[in-house]
Amino acid sequence: MMEWLLSFIQSWFTELTGLVSQGSKRVFVGYLLSAAIIAVVWLMWQRRVKFLSALGWLFQRNLWWSSSSRSDYQLMVLNQAVMLLLSPLLLSKLALATALFYGLNDWITRPLWSLEISVFWASVIFTSCLFVVDDASRYYLHRLMHRWPALWAFHRVHHTAQSLTPFTVLRTHPIEGVLFGLRNAIVQGLMIGLFVFLLGDRVTLLSLLGANVFTAVFNLLGANLRHSPVPMSYGKVLESWLISPAQHQIHHSQASQHWDRNFGVVMAVWDRLGNTLEYGSNTQQLIYGLPDQTPNEHQLVILYWQPFKNCWRCFQRNKPGTLSRTQQNRHNK
Amino acid sequence: MNKTLLSIVVATSIALSAQTHAAVYANFPITVKNYTGDKTHSESFAGQMARHNLHNSVKKLISKGAGLEQTSDYFSGKLAGRAIIDPVSKDGFPVLQTQIDELSGGKNLSGKAYKGLITGMPGGLTGAELLALMVDKAAQTESGFDPLTGYDYTQLISKFTMGAVFYNQAVDVYLDEKLAADTKPNSEAYKDGAAYTGKEHVWDEAFGYFGAPAHTLELTAEDVYLIAKQSPKGFSKADYNGDGKVSLITEMAYAHAYYAAGFDKGGKTQYLHTIVQAFLDGRNLISSANGEALTDAQRSELIGYAKVIKVQWQRIIAEAVFKYAGSVYGDIEKLETIIEANGDAGKAYRSYVKHWGELKGFALALEVGGVNLGETGVKLNRLLGYSPVLLGNTQVVALVGDEFVQSSSVSLAEYRVHMIKLQKLMIDAFGVEARSKDVTANLAELVDALGDALAAEND
Repeated sequence: MMEWLLSFIQSWFTELTGLVSQGSKRVFVGYLLSAAIIAVVWLMWQRRVKFLSALGWLFQRNLWWSSSSRSDYQLMVLNQAVMLLLSPLLLSKLALATALFYGLNDWITRPLWSLEISVFWASVIFTSCLFVVDDASRYYLHRLMHRWPALWAFHRVHHTAQSLTPFTVLRTHPIEGVLFGLRNAIVQGLMIGLFVFLLGDRVTLLSLLGANVFTAVFNLLGANLRHSPVPMSYGKVLESWLISPAQHQIHHSQASQHWDRNFGVVMAVWDRLGNTLEYGSNTQQLIYGLPDQTPNEHQLVILYWQPFKNCWRCFQRNKPGTLSRTQQNRHNK
Repeated sequence: MNKTLLSIVVATSIALSAQTHAAVYANFPITVKNYTGDKTHSESFAGQMARHNLHNSVKKLISKGAGLEQTSDYFSGKLAGRAIIDPVSKDGFPVLQTQIDELSGGKNLSGKAYKGLITGMPGGLTGAELLALMVDKAAQTESGFDPLTGYDYTQLISKFTMGAVFYNQAVDVYLDEKLAADTKPNSEAYKDGAAYTGKEHVWDEAFGYFGAPAHTLELTAEDVYLIAKQSPKGFSKADYNGDGKVSLITEMAYAHAYYAAGFDKGGKTQYLHTIVQAFLDGRNLISSANGEALTDAQRSELIGYAKVIKVQWQRIIAEAVFKYAGSVYGDIEKLETIIEANGDAGKAYRSYVKHWGELKGFALALEVGGVNLGETGVKLNRLLGYSPVLLGNTQVVALVGDEFVQSSSVSLAEYRVHMIKLQKLMIDAFGVEARSKDVTANLAELVDALGDALAAEND
């Protein structure tokens, strides 16, 4: 038992350090640094402030040590342990990919045109398709999280953040973490199975810093500013294609006209297709969080336990507090 | 003080010497009652090593396009004066013996080949008959390759001989029926005047057929692999007694031991050391009976070691089937690409049929281990067929007289899929773990490259 505990603590520590040391994670130190540089330059350019002032504004104590941010850190640390415990129960990406690979080989004959695709193009096509399908699935799941009351009960935790720092990306209820893991396994497992069936061992992942090259570039270009007080907008033309930090901040806005807008992660096309796109502005001033949240919603016990209660209520008829974000939005209108 | 120091040194030397002995399949005491000969140890497996050298030589002869007469001298002949064709001394890897008779006289391969029915090839032949037919056919080709049927006889004969002679003799005869209490008892000499008891020699013969150097447990899998390849880098590892030459009886690696080493050096399996350790443990157990009949408990323990050897050995062959199914899969992919581009498929076709010959030879070997493979055997034969699928989508379907007859078959693309199924069959039926040339390996590599989603990152 003691041996298991020590090994578990060691794995937990490895997962935690991995958050900042691995390029596949959003809060990788390299991405945090690039975001900080972009933010400082943006502030000096847009707000006409000096370097030290920009730096001081970015790293203000009441942002990074607010009760909201402190609960982000607590969730981040504890979630890694919970996810580690749940990991053996999660759907295996490899099992899914293998099953699809065998299944496709059983059902259909590989088209001959696939033989003409070189290693380079096989990898470019695979990496691009994976990125696009992954992004689309994240949009759709995110939208469901807002639409279905039982899912909103858990996703609400993320929206109770009242101050946004890059670590808010890890302000997630473990049940939501499991759903993200499931989505990840299904999308990536199916894509891997399909592409290896079509293109065999010519398929490789084009990677940068240990992540899909597109994801890594997105992260290097300031993805962490999505959860920050820096309202960096890309302008309407680019924001029709890519979600800017300002656009995601609108998603976190407490104002009801901003609810259910900008579900996208990287590409804005899904929001355009779903009629949920909202353009950002360099001068926008927003209040984050939920209008109906109580002051104790940054307490770890509440953050973990309340969603289960809310979820349970969803299945009990005629009980108050069972509306999803989308239902609340409709109600307001 | 000096006496005390000397005692410690002597005691340490004895302990080290005992430890050395414990790890080497050598210097087992003579336990035969009333032995009067001049031997100083009881282990003996030179006859098996002679057959390994006959096998290597047959393979070399066929690949060099030797005639039937010369090949038969080594395959079925027993004449004295046969030179060892392979292995021979090479720069950086000299071997001690040059004649089969220096290993053991009067030996051949055909006499020990499996006499049961082989279902994986047409004609209802026994293992021995199939080998004889193939040796005959090989002599009618150039360098053992028949482009019309897609048979690479060099590979087919070599891999199936390893199964039908070495594997079958070891696991179905010596480690099976000859472990019975009243067969070759340990309380009697194996034969009149022999320095070994019945059970000692039965066990030694099985060890010899595996083909591992006697000092395998002091070597890594990589070492044994280099020795079998006669690599100069492996010479110092092979020359255990330091006489400057590699003994083809005790220091060389052959056949399935070489394949075990090949798989184990990948780091996922330990077939070689597990098998040799079981042989060593079994031999020490027999020696400890000191020439008395084995008790039921001792025999039961011995059968336990035999079971370990049988299971691991079968898995080595299954690993080889898995590996060559992967090679054939890759060859067909290349062929499809070349054909699609209207290129010259000659070289790719040769590689395809060579790997198919190795695959089929190992697959046939799985039939001769004294275990009824049941449904696994049926699937294996149906997936593989009697020959590779040829470029015109034909395959051998029958043996009429001594001629192989072809008929239309599945397409090459479908046959490629059979290789995927074959690999899966080896995993499901035999639990192979080394999995060389795994056609699904890229799935795992991509999964690893993409990492997990345990961070619970939000959108």
